[in-house]
Amino acid sequence: MSENPFKIIRSTDLPPDNLRTDVLGSVKMVMLLMRVVQLFVADPGSALFENVRILGRSASSRSGDRTPPPSDPT
Amino acid sequence: MDADRFGMLYDRYSAKVFQKCVGMTRDKDLSHDLTHDIFLKAFVGLAKFDHRSKFGTWLYSITYNYCLDHLRKTQRNRTSDVDEETGATDMAEDRYEIELLSLRADRLSTVLEALDPADRAMLLMKYQDELSIKDMMDVLVLSESAVKMRVLRARERALAKYHQLYREEP
Repeated sequence: MSENPFKIIRSTDLPPDNLRTDVLGSVKMVMLLMRVVQLFVADPGSALFENVRILGRSASSRSGDRTPPPSDPT
Repeated sequence: MDADRFGMLYDRYSAKVFQKCVGMTRDKDLSHDLTHDIFLKAFVGLAKFDHRSKFGTWLYSITYNYCLDHLRKTQRNRTSDVDEETGATDMAEDRYEIELLSLRADRLSTVLEALDPADRAMLLMKYQDELSIKDMMDVLVLSESAVKMRVLRARERALAKYHQLYREEP
C-alpha cells in the first residue's frame, strides 16, 4: 500500500527563534496585568472574611495551646 | 505558573503548534502570529485546564479552534452546516477513504488548499494527526455521530474538488 499522502505533505517548518522571546515577553506582560487587575477586582468582603477566619483560628489555637497554670502544691 | 516554566511548555509544543498552523493556513507569517496568540491564550486559560484530557489535546483544541476562527473571519467562506444527526454509512466511508488516501501528494495539497478551512481541518486531524474519534470529540466538542458525519462530508467535498480540478484524470 502506498504511503499516506497526508503524511507526505505534513509541514516540517520550525517556528522562528524570536517567537519564543515574543511569547514569553507577552506572558510576562499578561502576568503583570493580571496582578494589577486583581488589585481592583478583589472582593474586599471575602478578603476580610478570610483574614478574620485565619486570625480567629490562630487565636483559638493559641488559647487551646495554653498550658494550665501549675497547681499550687501547698 | 511563572514565565520560565511556561517556557518549558513552549519548548515542548511550539513546533507542533506552528506546524499545525502552517498546515491549516498555508501561510508561515500568519502562523507566526497565530502561534504567539495560541500560547498566550493557553497561558491565560491554564487555570481552566481540568486534566480530563492530555495537555497536548487541550492545546491542540485551542490551536484548531483559533486557526479556524481566524480563517472564518478572513475568508468568510464557511460551508453550510450539515445534518449531523444522520448516521454515517460505513460503506461510503471506506470507499471515500480509500480514494482519498490514494491521491498524489501534490494534488492532495492543492485540493486541501481549495477546500473550506473547516473541511481541511477535519481531514488533517483525521489523516495527518491521526486523532481518534474520542479525541476529535474532545477537540470539537461534538458527539460521535457528528464527528463522523463531518469527516465523511469533508471527504466527499475533497473528492468532489479533486474531480473538479483534475477532471481529465481517472
